[in-house]
Amino acid sequence: MRKAFAEALFQAAEKDPRVIFLTGDLGFGTFDAYQAKFGPRYVNVGVAEAQLVNAAAGLALEGWRPIIYSIASFATGRPFEQIRISVGYAGLPVVIIGAGGGYTYASSGVTHHAGEDLGLMSLIPGMTVVAPGDPNEVAQLLPQLLKLSGPSYLRVGKYGEPAYQADDAVVLGRARLLREGNGADFAVVSTGQITSVVLDALELLKPDGIAPTVMQFHTVQPLDIVALDSLAKKVQTIIVVEEHMPVGGLAAAISTWRAARVSGPRIVRLGPPQALLLGNPTVPEMRKRLGFDAQAIAEMCRTIARPASRGGSVSAAQPANARLTSDPT
Amino acid sequence: MVSGLSGHNDQISHNGAVSTKRSPASIAQLEQKARKVRASCVQMAFDGREGHLSSALSCTDLLVALYNGWLNVSPDKPKAPDRDRFYFSKGHACTALYAALADAGFMPKQTLSSYGKTDSPLPNHSCRHALPILENSAGSLGHGLGLATGALYGLRLDNNPARAVVLMSDGECNEGSVWESAMFAAAQKLGNLLAIVDNNGLQAVGRSDVLMGHTSLEEKFRAFGWAARTINGNNMTEIVAALADVPFEKDRPTAIIAKTVGGSGIKFMEDQVLWHYRTPSEEEKNRALAELGEAPLQKELSHA
Repeated sequence: MRKAFAEALFQAAEKDPRVIFLTGDLGFGTFDAYQAKFGPRYVNVGVAEAQLVNAAAGLALEGWRPIIYSIASFATGRPFEQIRISVGYAGLPVVIIGAGGGYTYASSGVTHHAGEDLGLMSLIPGMTVVAPGDPNEVAQLLPQLLKLSGPSYLRVGKYGEPAYQADDAVVLGRARLLREGNGADFAVVSTGQITSVVLDALELLKPDGIAPTVMQFHTVQPLDIVALDSLAKKVQTIIVVEEHMPVGGLAAAISTWRAARVSGPRIVRLGPPQALLLGNPTVPEMRKRLGFDAQAIAEMCRTIARPASRGGSVSAAQPANARLTSDPT
Repeated sequence: MVSGLSGHNDQISHNGAVSTKRSPASIAQLEQKARKVRASCVQMAFDGREGHLSSALSCTDLLVALYNGWLNVSPDKPKAPDRDRFYFSKGHACTALYAALADAGFMPKQTLSSYGKTDSPLPNHSCRHALPILENSAGSLGHGLGLATGALYGLRLDNNPARAVVLMSDGECNEGSVWESAMFAAAQKLGNLLAIVDNNGLQAVGRSDVLMGHTSLEEKFRAFGWAARTINGNNMTEIVAALADVPFEKDRPTAIIAKTVGGSGIKFMEDQVLWHYRTPSEEEKNRALAELGEAPLQKELSHA
């Protein structure tokens, strides 16, 4: 995804002479080609995220299209005040890139975890919040973000995420249909790089003959309510898979949509809990132990698909391993 | 004091907006304007029932000097591309900004009467949505300098000669973001940047000198690579002279540490932490106006 971002950035800067890239001293080697080509339209402000955001806001005030870059935890949490005031309050078209969003850096420790990046950015009025699922979606979405008149956040992963195929176009603000269901009365929706894991789960379900509708909500804010309303006419249950804490993520956004309706599908969530993630696990280990890897997603689909589960209670597997999720006490 | 680089008087005025030498008479005119602005602030604080008079009065002389002969800005073309960018970063002191703008013709003087009222263009922290001629909204400290650095970086890429001025408070310099911006400004050699610190010594609940460990703001800016000078920020002659010397050094951002008195110009308010928040009673308002000897700008029509 990061390679796709660097390429999309290069193309955007070629197309629009007002595009300017600012980094908070991150992205070693990633932007060499960009820097060589665009010179002063590459700015390293140093390890200074407040300045990263405020300088970008100042540039946007003068008609530039700043794209700012840092690790997701540092891009969102550290300068939250600057994003809220200088970008959000002013309504400026600054594109914020959070590299390694979610738990991409699971093994690097809590400082590098960004299990709240989508939530923090969703809290800013007017902010468009986007979590592409594969390199192609990064490439498709960045130019669309650059057409907005207001601010946006783009979560990207690391390197080498698998690409997936789908006929549905990647349109900002619209959920993307990845797989049409075969009559199953539930759907699986997700956002960000966990989406490819959802597709892995679908493979596991083939022998069971279970094929739910799968949608990728690359745009978390504004939420595609039209797609949800339409989904609500077709399915009884929506399984939301997210690599984000429960507060402020996609499941929370969809639950808010559901709470505004008298009736509608039940929402089942798979993803990390609202807790510190200790133990420095690898990403696959983390997803397995926190119950949202391909096996866990497939198992939940089987549970939902079983007639006995209709109307009954369903609870997602929660991790037993205290080393992975413990209270700070 | 400074750098030894005096004699820069002749190299400012890139846009012809500046007259570097001021006659004593013109200084007296600026001083009178400052008294009018102060009277307007007192009236606004009274009418709007909002405080921060201490912070507004301390920076009044600086604002009047900037808007009368230094800033290349015009009420006729408030968004002219080559205008100087002025970022008022201590938003709580906005009565002084509003009054200085009204005095300089950027809005009808009568508008000042709406200060602090619902849906007014003049809310009690300056807001660009309410008053679009502003470059920035303010109220949360530590943002103006960063905005100015980004804007100047972009303006330079556009070969735009505009300068950027930030008026900030000494309490604001408690914020770490100020020093991130100071580092960037020096690294990028933003010679068109002027930061003026209204060093009134007072914060919301304490004294800035104590809270900053009795350290020098001028030395701090120098250490960050700026050219800096300390002046009496309530003395119009000193202000005008310092502004005429900007930039103090080529390719370095300039800091003017303006030593001021909170509540300056009204004896019973001067240097009192109390007047950071307090709003004047009718008796206090009348006493303040009597001491200033000038009518508030928003009352001029009814006096005419």
